[in-house]
Amino acid sequence: MRKEPLDRPPVAVFTQSATIGQMDAVGCAWPEAHSDAKMMAKLGAAQATVFGFEAVRSSFCLTAEAERLGCNVDPGKKDRTPMLKKHPFNFDPMSDVYDEPNLMDPEEFLKGGRPAVIIEATRLMADEYGKEYPVIAGNTGPFTLAGHMVSTENLVFGIMMNPEEVHKWIAAVNPIVKAYSQALSDAGADIIQMSEPSSSTDLLSPDMFTEYSGNYVKDSLACVKDAYSVLHICGDTSAILPLMADTGVTGCSIEEKVDSAEAVKINNGRVALVGNIGVVHPLLQGTPEDCAAAAKRIAAAGFNIVSPGCGLSALIADENLRAVVKAIKG
Amino acid sequence: MSEKLDALIDIVVTGKMKLAKDATQACLDDGIDAKTIIFEGLSKAMAIVGDKYAAKQYFLPQVLLSANTLYQGLNLCLPLLQGDGSASKGTVVIAVVEGDVHDIGKNIVKAMLTGLGLNVVDLGKDVPIKDIIASAQENNASIIAESTLMTPTLAGMKQCEADLKENGLKGKIKTMIGGGATSKEFAEQIGADGWSYDAVEASHLAASILGIQ
Repeated sequence: MRKEPLDRPPVAVFTQSATIGQMDAVGCAWPEAHSDAKMMAKLGAAQATVFGFEAVRSSFCLTAEAERLGCNVDPGKKDRTPMLKKHPFNFDPMSDVYDEPNLMDPEEFLKGGRPAVIIEATRLMADEYGKEYPVIAGNTGPFTLAGHMVSTENLVFGIMMNPEEVHKWIAAVNPIVKAYSQALSDAGADIIQMSEPSSSTDLLSPDMFTEYSGNYVKDSLACVKDAYSVLHICGDTSAILPLMADTGVTGCSIEEKVDSAEAVKINNGRVALVGNIGVVHPLLQGTPEDCAAAAKRIAAAGFNIVSPGCGLSALIADENLRAVVKAIKG
Repeated sequence: MSEKLDALIDIVVTGKMKLAKDATQACLDDGIDAKTIIFEGLSKAMAIVGDKYAAKQYFLPQVLLSANTLYQGLNLCLPLLQGDGSASKGTVVIAVVEGDVHDIGKNIVKAMLTGLGLNVVDLGKDVPIKDIIASAQENNASIIAESTLMTPTLAGMKQCEADLKENGLKGKIKTMIGGGATSKEFAEQIGADGWSYDAVEASHLAASILGIQ
């Protein structure tokens, strides 16, 4: 994370790390591990204990905060992450009807639900694995969380119709995001890895990024004390990578939709680059050889940390993950 | 080409949603029939929007705005087409497959296919494969379009191909897939009739499957 010259980059899963293979190996599985701190700690450490990746990570999804704030969540299955079923607030740019963002205060937020479980799991991981591995804690970015509360499509459409109402919602969730990021650091996380998929260029135009996401991330993630900060955004981030760095985060985690060498060139040494092995190709559908080749190519391109470019699919084969570790560690 | 129709095209492309109804009405008042408004006006406008998206001049927010502007005009025109057999160039049943709720991409594909002049039956998100196939049969659809962003649901897409085959519908109803978890290779592997990277490609793909320009 300090961008120091090393003989090889570390290899770690910075995004969702659990797979069926790890669940079977450590005897903790989804969906139970989403809401049980001990199981989460054990399964979150499995990337290191089972495969030899060089980090442990708490939380496996981006629904914990939304659920705490009133979203209806389907807990998923062993091979499927939880998903949001219903947005609790009305935000309709077509009919010009907008609910007020009446949310619980940040202190209350941290005390219960799955965020409290994740904080506890992070604490357990720091105690048990912290001396040996960096502890990563994953959470949800402000624009993404606001979208979870009111429907992402409506929020994006709102930018064109009524930007003030959009800002009102992001500003309302951001103190919660900030308090949660700090609480994860206080629990012992070395790195806060915030996923902000809804501000990817698949959803926002690059010229909207700073106003609707970056400025808020600057406040809620980049200012976190006693931890490094990594901003993860999916899709083709080539146009927004400099803007992601402008938020002041320590690192940026990106997908394979940006060519690795091109990303290193755009970044020009500003932040630690984390990524960008494709999750579907090669990890899910490729061979171990494909996975090893991708990892080596990314290391050679100059990424600071070799990692999957997005949350792992639980169905990824053990041998593909082992091949990534072996390609980097030897 | 009528000036009024040009004005409507411009309104859809630039997403001036509040002006769309009046502009469509002005076309009708001018004696332009609903079919011409759809195919020479609204479709053309969405094609321009698609080009701008492909060129990265437009992103999702602008496309959403144009799509909603398009629907304002369509809502006026569609009822006037009732009973006109030549009105639709084909029917597409579209859905996000069971196990996934990410539907923004699907909604944009729907807008582009509607813009193409197709009748689009939208089943929404998290839809069981059997419901998709039943709806396709019921609506006499030429195409099933499925999307997913989540890898566990890829199995559902494979299942769809198997079920179509089992029911003797494979080939009669064409399938096209898309979404972040899919790929061209995956589409070929399961025997889908086509894959597209984004909504613009999807409209080109549907046009080529149906043999329309």
